[in-house]
This record gives sequence, structure tokens and C-alpha cells, in this order.
Amino acid sequence: MDNTSVPKKSLLKRLNKPLASLKLAVFIIVALAAITAVGTIVEAKYDAYAAKKLVYDTWFMYAVMGLLVINLTAVMLDRWPWRKRHAAFVLAHIGIIILLAGAWLTMEYGLDGSMRVGIGETNNLVQVAQTDLVVYSSFDGDRYSKTLEQEVDFFKKPPTVEHPFIVPALSGEIRIVDYQKYVIPSRKVVADESGKGGAGLRFQLQNANVNVIEWLVQRKPDTVATHNFGPAQIHLGPAPEKGREANEIFLTPSKEGLRYVVFQKDSDKPLKKGVVKEGDVFDPGYKMSLQFRVLRYLPTALEEWDLKPAERPSPMTTSAIKILFEGKEHWVLLNDMTKLFTNNAVYLLTYGNRRVDLGFPLKLKNFEVSRYQGTMRAMAYQSVVEVPDSGEHLISMNEPLKYKGLTIYQASFQEEQGKPVASIFSVNQDPGRFLKYLGSLVLSLGIVLLMWFKHLDFRIASKSQKENGN
Amino acid sequence: MKKFFLVLASLLLSVTVYAKAGDALKYLPVQDGGRIKPYDSFSREMLEIVYGKTTYEGRAATEIVMTWMLSPQAWQDKKIFEVRNHEVLEAMKLPKDQRYFSGEELFGNERFALLRQELQGKRESKEKLNPYFQALQRLENQFFVFQEIAAGRMLKLVPPKEGNSWVAVADLEPAQQEKFLAMTKAFVNHIGAMAKNESTSQTAVDLDNAVKGFEESARAVNPGLYEHSGTISAEVHYNSFHPFRWAYIFYFLAFIVLLLVWTLSKESLMKIAWVFLAIGFVLNTYGFGVRMYIMDRAPVSNMYETVVWVSWGVVLFAAILEIIYKFRLILVAGTLVAAFGLVIADFAPAVLDPTLQPLEPVLRSNYWLTIHVMTITISYAAFFLAFGLGDIGLIYYLRGEEKHHEKIKAVVMGIYRSMQIGVAFLAPGIILGGIWADYSWGRFWGWDPKETWALIALLGYLAVLHARYAGMIKHFGMVVTAIITFSLVIMAWYGVNFVLGAGLHSYGFGAGGVEYVSAFVAAHILMVIYVSMIRAGKRKG
Repeated sequence: MDNTSVPKKSLLKRLNKPLASLKLAVFIIVALAAITAVGTIVEAKYDAYAAKKLVYDTWFMYAVMGLLVINLTAVMLDRWPWRKRHAAFVLAHIGIIILLAGAWLTMEYGLDGSMRVGIGETNNLVQVAQTDLVVYSSFDGDRYSKTLEQEVDFFKKPPTVEHPFIVPALSGEIRIVDYQKYVIPSRKVVADESGKGGAGLRFQLQNANVNVIEWLVQRKPDTVATHNFGPAQIHLGPAPEKGREANEIFLTPSKEGLRYVVFQKDSDKPLKKGVVKEGDVFDPGYKMSLQFRVLRYLPTALEEWDLKPAERPSPMTTSAIKILFEGKEHWVLLNDMTKLFTNNAVYLLTYGNRRVDLGFPLKLKNFEVSRYQGTMRAMAYQSVVEVPDSGEHLISMNEPLKYKGLTIYQASFQEEQGKPVASIFSVNQDPGRFLKYLGSLVLSLGIVLLMWFKHLDFRIASKSQKENGN
Repeated sequence: MKKFFLVLASLLLSVTVYAKAGDALKYLPVQDGGRIKPYDSFSREMLEIVYGKTTYEGRAATEIVMTWMLSPQAWQDKKIFEVRNHEVLEAMKLPKDQRYFSGEELFGNERFALLRQELQGKRESKEKLNPYFQALQRLENQFFVFQEIAAGRMLKLVPPKEGNSWVAVADLEPAQQEKFLAMTKAFVNHIGAMAKNESTSQTAVDLDNAVKGFEESARAVNPGLYEHSGTISAEVHYNSFHPFRWAYIFYFLAFIVLLLVWTLSKESLMKIAWVFLAIGFVLNTYGFGVRMYIMDRAPVSNMYETVVWVSWGVVLFAAILEIIYKFRLILVAGTLVAAFGLVIADFAPAVLDPTLQPLEPVLRSNYWLTIHVMTITISYAAFFLAFGLGDIGLIYYLRGEEKHHEKIKAVVMGIYRSMQIGVAFLAPGIILGGIWADYSWGRFWGWDPKETWALIALLGYLAVLHARYAGMIKHFGMVVTAIITFSLVIMAWYGVNFVLGAGLHSYGFGAGGVEYVSAFVAAHILMVIYVSMIRAGKRKG
């Protein structure tokens, strides 16, 4: 562009000229601003996930970003050979390119997930944003083998009746025919016509102070389903011979109805025994004089979801897919599973966020919340965790743990009745971090220098444009 | 310069007088909202919640709130509850032209229970509350605050022997209860004397002594938790002095003088303008410093605090540019927008919460927070200055482009420099925000609306600067874009918190004022269109 010393520009530079145009730059900047503005509105209306899927993580966003990199490179090429006064301009523009390169590395090779660990518990799986469909098959109902594992993005490409997502099965196929972004689920238990499911029981426990109505459904026959009701536990399934020094009521499905056995804390002998049918009431015999009522009893039952569609997401909503198999419909919620029975096989289908194995167990030894004086407002919180070979570490709000190339941050915590029960960590691995910091530094340096050198380069640029008659 | 310091010194002395008799009650430590504050602040905040103002019929909040507790029934039919939302009034079947209601009218109304259920249902659905439900929530809060104060459960005056939850008036031990009763007696005597216009010299002293007696008894319970005298008196002083109010008064005076200099070309007045400006700036800084001392952190954590900070920045940048360019009109724009910002902060307490609140956990690594928020908001100050200059530029275009060519050139130079300063702060500010996010959450950029809108504002100004270099916009274009692009800053600064209401920066969220801000933006856009049309017409003709 130095048109006094180089009268004729090389071919490369002439070809490069339109790509280096300032007008293109203005267009790109305005386009970026407009697209991201739409993104924030989508986020406000729906949520961050929707904004990412519909705006930020799309071909047009990448196209504008790509154009930006081309434009930045071209404009720097255009000014070659650089002079001292170009320093600010070159630094600012190279800084942006380095930053974007770092962002690309993170997107492509990074890990960004979250991990919930209960107090005293251990976890080694990090949940990430990608969703997978996994199918396990079994021919004896006992041993399962994974027959399909595939990443799916139903949010962007929802299956429909016309264009279903098909999972081949031994006999026939499992068709996914619908996807709902936002539904409020509630549990529903229905009689299982295939006759292969476990039993289902809806009971009521009542006295002057309590009134509990719950469903208990066995996952498969002869397993135990439990409801913990503070002072006693209610189990649906086979009863042990002796009590376990706890207040427990066992209800076992049998041909004549439901056989019940009541155990007490201070004895291993049954307190009471009997048989009940639907509609029957009995008193377990505890001191608190409870009434146990069998509201509904299904010898073979299936849990299904009753879904209420919502217009936009809230903490109560989740997403769900509809499966069509052997003429029957099933809804599967995100991070849930369903069992599909045929005469000679059982399929277990799970749909949910991918869980990535960290490669080591993380144990949450302790968790503490400090609060602002006299309130329940959290002031700070921290976790004491244990990892192999490195012992105990304290993770607090802005003090993450760096271990085996991963960084584990304190993100939030879960509370039940005013007491913390679990700590939520965000776990990430960011191969682009160095480039992002480098790019930031270079860019900031460039901007500061730009103030220093004022607007030398551009003034010359516009002058030369005028001279060229642009 | 000497004169200036003299003025300043006398000004500060006149306001730091020691508490006058009868004021000891104001300094009584109260635990509320997660910190220890003077009873003065507590009562102002409570009256503000219920009544929307910090005084009631000219009587101080300290007096009103105490009488709520001492004789709640006397307040039964007084119109002290402010309800502004028309939808809520409609739902309550109350007249819409009325703004204040009595407890009987509101909470005796059977519809109140229904509305509370409706609100509860909405809360359980965990959806975002729209303005109607936010107003309903405020009504419920007003009800709660008044009830709890009347029952003596809200005012926590005595430190506990163990733990950190202070003891409320209703649960006082006999020793403190006795002192508290003595204090209320002295209080009733004192306000009785005031009401009857009798001499209060004796009752005031009695009240002060009774308060001191109570404080001693409270301190004796747990002396370690009762040591706050420094920040408490600073806060009472801050409440009564209103440093930011004085600051905008002086900014406004400077603006008036500058107008004279500018329009009548009286250069001799320039010194006076500088003195006013300097006093205003010192007061602005002083208020900022006092808040910092009381809360032990840089006060840039909510809208109110950033508005104050931006006004400070506008004056700073305007003064620097003025010293370099001596255009006069940069200072005119600077003082005007700074005064405007502080006036808004002072007059809209329902929207811009001036109370001192403790920080959310995520903000407590305040080193990065302070730097990134201050850098970003100070860039808004530069853009605000450009915006003010843009307004002045429009006036010149209206009055004749040819005639005022030199002035327009100066305005554009000011706009251009301000935008450069703004970009030079905003870009590193956003990057610092990224570093902070990386440091606390493990990701540099997450498309959070607040950070995204800061980026959009930056892109907007970058587009303007590049368009200028490309020759796409000239002088008039700079004036227009200085005004239009500031809408992006308003969106990033105010809109994300008050309109979008989503994202990680939720700790700064609030409600209200949307219609005024929208009107402000719309009025400026209309003005730009109007001037553009006039200009186009003139050019043709």
C-alpha cells in the first residue's frame, strides 16, 4: 500500500485487496453484533442451551467468524511490509486471530462438563452437553450387551413421524418419532400388558399427623422398590427372614394378593404378618398408630411419563423423545431409560447427556457453606475432595483444583431443607487456554499502542484510498 | 487553587459536625440483610420498602419505623403502602389513581390472600416473574416487613452469646428488655415533645442516655460482635450528607457557568466553572470512598453504584480532554451527562437501589471483579460523554451547518476521542471479564448475555471507527452514531439486567424503569431522524 516506493503492486496484493477492504470489515462487525444480539434474546426467552444451538453454534456464525479471520489476515497482508507505525494495528489484529484460534481449540478438543458429588460420596463421571442414544440388548433378561451408542442432536434435528430416527433391533426396529424440547413430566403407573414388568403399588400411610400417598414400582419382578418415609421404610418386594433392626414394612406380591411383614427397630422377629388386597387397610402395629391403605395394586406394572408441554424452559422442564416399538408408544425423558420387551428379547434404551470418565475417582470428603450473618444467604462455599496419589484438596469459589490436566472448579451446591447435600463442580480441560491468554495480551497491547500512535495507519489508509480514487 | 481548598475544607467541616442531641438512636447497631448497619439505615430501607420514600410526611424514618413497632394499631388506617402497578391494583379492585393505601385496604382485602396464592403458584412453577408478579412480590414483601417490624421480629439489636444471628426485640433477655423499654419511653417522650412543639433539649438528652444505656447492656452480652462504631458513624454521616446529591449540584452549577462561557464567550468565568467542577468531583470521589470504607469493597456491584461510578468517569474524561483540546463544549457535555446520571440515581431509588448490600459468593474474589467491572463501566463513561457531545452536535446541525462548521469539527473531534478512550477501556475490560470467568468458572467465554452485550457495544463502536476510516461516515455520521450506538451501551448496562433478565450476571438484576429508558432512547432516535431530515431538506434546497 506504500504507493510511492512500490508503484506497481504485486498480483497477490491486488487479488487480496477486496478481502482486505474496510467496508467488508464494517459489514462483518455489524453482522457479528446483530447475530449475537439475537442470541441474547433467544437466551432470555428460552435458555443458554437454545441460544447455543440456534445461534452461536451454527453455520452462519462460523461463516462470519471465518470471514473475520480472512479479513484480518488479508488486511495485514495488504500492509506488508510492516513499519514501526503498524505495530499497534498488527498486534490488535493478530491478537484477535490468536484468540479465535484458542477458542477453536477449546471447542474442538476441550472438555467442559459438570459433576455432582454427594457429601461422602465418590464420582468419576463428568456430564457434558452432548447427548447420546444407547441401546443395550438382552436375550435372557439378565445379561445385557451394548448394541448401539450414537451421538444424537434432537434439538437441532428433531425426529418426526415422517422422518424418524431408526434403531435396528433383532426383530423389527425401534423408531424415534417425536422430540419435545420442553415438557413438565409427572409419573404415571399403568398396568403392563406384556406381563413381564414388576409389580406396582399405590399406598397411603395416614395418622393424625401424616398423610403420605406414593407409588412403588418394581423395576423387574422379585426386586425391591423402597419408599423412605422418615420413621419407617416401605418396601415392595421379597421380605428377608429376619428384621434388620429398623422399622420396615415389606409387601411381597403373591398369588393370593400382597403378603405383608412388619419389622420393628428393637426386634428381629416380625411384628405383624398378613395378606391384603386392593382397597384393604391394616395397622402395622407401630406406636404411632398408622393406617396402611392399599389404594391400587398392579401385579405387573409399568412406569410411564405423563408429559405436559411447556412453551419455554424452566427448572421444572426437561426434554423427551417418543419411541414407537411394536405398535406401542413410550416417552423417554432426557437422562432416563426405558425397557422394551419382545417375546424373545429385552432392549434397554437410554437417552441422555454423555458422561465422560475422568479416569480417577473424586471423593467429596466435606462441604461447607458460610452465610452472611443472621441470614440464609450464602457468603462462600468450599469442598474438601480427595483424589488418588495426591490426597486431600480444598476447592473453593475461586480456587480450583488442577489435577491430571483437568481443572475442577466449585460451581454450586445442592441443598435439602436448608442443609447442603451435594457439591456441584465444573470440570474442564482447555487446550486453547494458553492461546486465549496470549491473544488477549497481544490484543490489549495493540489497543494501548493504538492510543499511543493515535490513528496513524488508518489516516494513511484513508488518504491512500482517496488518492487511488476509491 | 488556595481558594478552592478553602471552599472545600469549609464545606466538609460544615457537614462533619458531631451528632446533635437526640441523634444517638440513629447510631444504634442493627443486624439486617447480612451485615451490621446503623438503625438510621435500617429504618430508611424499611420505610423505602413499604412507602417508597425515606421520609413520611416530613418525619424521619427513624421515628416512623419505631412507632410501627410501638403502636402498630395507630398505623392501621394510615396510607403508608405504596402500590404502583396498575394490574395489581386492578386485581385488588382498588382505585388506580391512588398510589398509597392503608394496611386495612390492602391486607384486609380478601383478594390479597388469593393473589398471594397466585404468586405462590407462579413461584412453584419456577418460571421467571413478569412485572405483574414482581409487583405482587413487592406487595407481599411490604406486608411481611410491616408485620415483622410490628411484631418486633425484624429489628435485631443484641448480639448473641453464640453463633452470629442477633436477637430481635421480641426475644430479648430481661436485662436488655428493661433497657429497651427505658429507651422506648424516652423515645415516646421525645417525639411527644416534638409534636407539641415543646422544648426538646431535655428529652433529647434523656433519649441519648437511654440509647447509650441499651447499647452498653447489648455490648456486655458479646463485646466482640459489637465493635462497629467506625463504619456505623460513617454510614450515618453518609446517609445524612448525600455526597452524590451535592456532587450533582456542583456539576450542574459548573454546567450553568460553562453555558455562560460558551454562549456569551465570557472566558473570565472559566476559572469558576473549574472550581465548581472540582468541588463536585471531589464530593463524588468522597462519596465513593465512604461507600468503599463502609462495605470494605469497591462499590461497583449494582446499577446504582455503576451509575455513580460512570458519572465520575465522565467528568474525569471530560476534564482530561478539555485540558488537551480546550474546546469548552466537551466540559459542557461532561457536566451535563454526569449531573444527569447522578440525578437519575438519586431520584429512582426503586429502580436503582442505593442501599448497601453484601456481595454474592461468586463476586467475593473482589480483586478481579473490581478490575473488570470498573474497566468496562468506565468505558461506558467515555461513550456517555460521546453521547452528550452528539446531542450538542445535533443542536449545531439544527442551527446551521455552515455557520458552525468549526464548532462541529470540535464536537466530532471530542466524540472521536471519547469513542477511542471507550474502546481502549472496553476491549481490555471484556478480556479481563473473560479472565475472571476462566478463573472462577473455568471458561473464558460463555455467551452470557451481559458479556455478550458488552461485546456487542464494543463491536458497535468498532464498526463506527472502522466506518469512519473507510470514509463511510463523515462528521454528521459521527454525531449520529455517537447517539445511536450509545443505545447498545444502554442495553448492555441497563437492558440486560432489567429487560432480558437472564444469565450468570443475575446478581445485578432488577426491575422497573423500562418505560422511561425506552422513551429516552426512542426520543433520541427520533431527534436524530428529525435532524437528518431537516439536514437533507436544507441540502436539497
